Amino acid sequence: MKKLILVTVLLFSLGLLAGHGISFAEDTIKVGIVLPLTGDQAKFGEIEKLSFDMALEEINGKGGIKGKKIELVIEDDTGRPEVGRSVVEKLITKDKVVMIGGGYSSSVTYAVAGVCQQNQMPFLINTGAADKITEQKWDYIFRLNPPASKYSASVEELLAEVIKPKTVTILHENSLFGTSSAKSFEKSCEKAGYKVLLKQGYEAGGIDFKPVLTQVKQLNPDVVYMVSYVMDAALIMKQSKELKINPKMFIGGAAGFTLPEFQQNAGAASEKIISATLWHQVLPFPGAMDYYNKFKAKFNKETEYHGAEAYAAAYVIADVLNRTKSLKNEDIKKALSETDMMTAFGPVKFTNWDKMTNQNKASSYVVQWIDGKLEMVWPKNLAAKPFVFPVNWLKVWGY
Amino acid sequence: MKSKNITLIILGIFFLLFPFIIKSEYYQHLVIIALMWVVIGSSWNLLAGYTGQVSFGHAIFFGVGAYTAGIFVTKLEISAWWGMLFGGFAAMLIALFVGWVCFRLRGPYFALATLAGSEIIRLVATNWESLTDGMVGILIIQSFRSKLPYYYIVLGLAAACIYAIHLLMKSKWGYYFVSIREDQDAAESLGINTTLYKNISLLISAFFAGSAGAFYMNYMAFIDPHVVFSLHYISIMAILVGIVGGVATIMGPAVGAFVMVGVQETFRSAFFGVAPRWISEAHALVFGLLVIFVIMFMANGIVGDWGKIKRVLLGTRPSA
Repeated sequence: MKKLILVTVLLFSLGLLAGHGISFAEDTIKVGIVLPLTGDQAKFGEIEKLSFDMALEEINGKGGIKGKKIELVIEDDTGRPEVGRSVVEKLITKDKVVMIGGGYSSSVTYAVAGVCQQNQMPFLINTGAADKITEQKWDYIFRLNPPASKYSASVEELLAEVIKPKTVTILHENSLFGTSSAKSFEKSCEKAGYKVLLKQGYEAGGIDFKPVLTQVKQLNPDVVYMVSYVMDAALIMKQSKELKINPKMFIGGAAGFTLPEFQQNAGAASEKIISATLWHQVLPFPGAMDYYNKFKAKFNKETEYHGAEAYAAAYVIADVLNRTKSLKNEDIKKALSETDMMTAFGPVKFTNWDKMTNQNKASSYVVQWIDGKLEMVWPKNLAAKPFVFPVNWLKVWGY
Repeated sequence: MKSKNITLIILGIFFLLFPFIIKSEYYQHLVIIALMWVVIGSSWNLLAGYTGQVSFGHAIFFGVGAYTAGIFVTKLEISAWWGMLFGGFAAMLIALFVGWVCFRLRGPYFALATLAGSEIIRLVATNWESLTDGMVGILIIQSFRSKLPYYYIVLGLAAACIYAIHLLMKSKWGYYFVSIREDQDAAESLGINTTLYKNISLLISAFFAGSAGAFYMNYMAFIDPHVVFSLHYISIMAILVGIVGGVATIMGPAVGAFVMVGVQETFRSAFFGVAPRWISEAHALVFGLLVIFVIMFMANGIVGDWGKIKRVLLGTRPSA
């Protein structure tokens, strides 16, 4: 027993010392990035990581920042807020990064933002969307993507002008992003006079959605609105197809419905589904199409709005580090708040509006899966292809 | 006996001085988390290891403790530190109910009932938004920037927990617990009120798990139902800490906590950034392999099978 304890203590101390031995030369500027690289949100983390890496290569290839190269210290938050919290503390205290980027799921982003604000560490969020995150009057927290309540703005326009539904059902996963998106969509539906027949939360990572989908089928709504991450999104559509649910339109509230993996997993069940999105390569932003083509050539797969957010965030970070007076926290914060630039994701400028602080205003768009490709269909003046409507689902699904 | 005391003193001094030896907040954080797991693992061990009631739902008590502290802040607007005082008691209240329902069942049925109980309470916490804020979770601002206060609080809690269980297991109650584990019917026939003592064991276990939960709220400053009522990351982890360290040993869960937290972080960070990234994706796999290895070759855990490990590693003969 005695020896056991001694050995444990010894091994433990050794481990700590070993960890200390590794240090890097200070010829780079370190920026911490928090992303889910394992766990159920890993697909989103991956597309963002590849985009960050790609942007970093371009930025450093052009000489970096005032002669120094940027080094991204990418940490895996595994999709769990408590891990996110630990890794951001590690980034701040051990890696001594000058600022933090990333932030995928709303829950993780919220927890990470709390730590950053307390440590006065500038944090540029590029995906975590729950409104609450920028409503805390936290001056060190900046957000590139719009809040979740604005994701559906363009979908709402499309509903009002083209689909004109009378009844709606809302399915959402029980997460911070899912519940807050569903709530704000419900409010807009009520305002527009559509009757919400059902608003049902479900546990993410489920394998059988048929009980709730059977309920949806019985209610026979004009619109089925879904807020899901990618695996659930594909399963819900596959099972809707099996149950032959036949609304006027299936609508995804961004997140899972725009990933290439959604199309691969759902197959025919993804066809003609529309989704809110925050970006599409046909948008007239400088570099948007270049980013898309480069990504496709380099990694041999499609990219979408999550990737574009990360890509643009990397450029904002580079721009901020170029403009900042020093690498002190306050100076970087100041540089962030003075950001006013154009990116592949659109214009970026952090302002205070509604109840939010340091929140970029970005638009939302509507995409539709047409012949296995994600096409932009709304707003009309930017659309690359006409919106396919009405849809005969049974025919699309090959019944 | 004397040499054991010396070891304890060395160990005590090491832990008291630790934050001054290792100044990196990152490692201090890992040790704080490990010490928290010492408390949860030990509390699980009292109920499962010593009393033989294997719980798959320790997240219930951990989560209730955490939410007690959190709700103190959001609803009563008092400090979350009050949760450290009341979190344990709130967990005991829930434990009374859990015991009332689950102790009608034995063995695997008890385990399944606690498993179901923890899922139920997670769903309640998710949907009872007026009380818990649902999936929005509860976010507070930490009281201290430094790790030191948290370190000493959780060190004190862990020491108190281990010492209390040590005293308890030397007392009459401890023998009652073990007799229930060995043969509940025989214990009953000897005149031991098995229902009462099972409940006592559960209540004490819940108290420590709840206190650990309240500490978690104060320290991590963010909880939501998926975090604190997690089957995978709390209930199962509590079992793993107990099994890997050594079931029904005083120091077992303590050793298990350090091993498990160490393994988890080593893999998550891909060997502290030295190994290639894909290693971190294998962390669940390695966890599984570790558990299989422990169950197959050291069923009594690291502490329980220490003699065996020494024999294999050092080639020495068994001393007894």
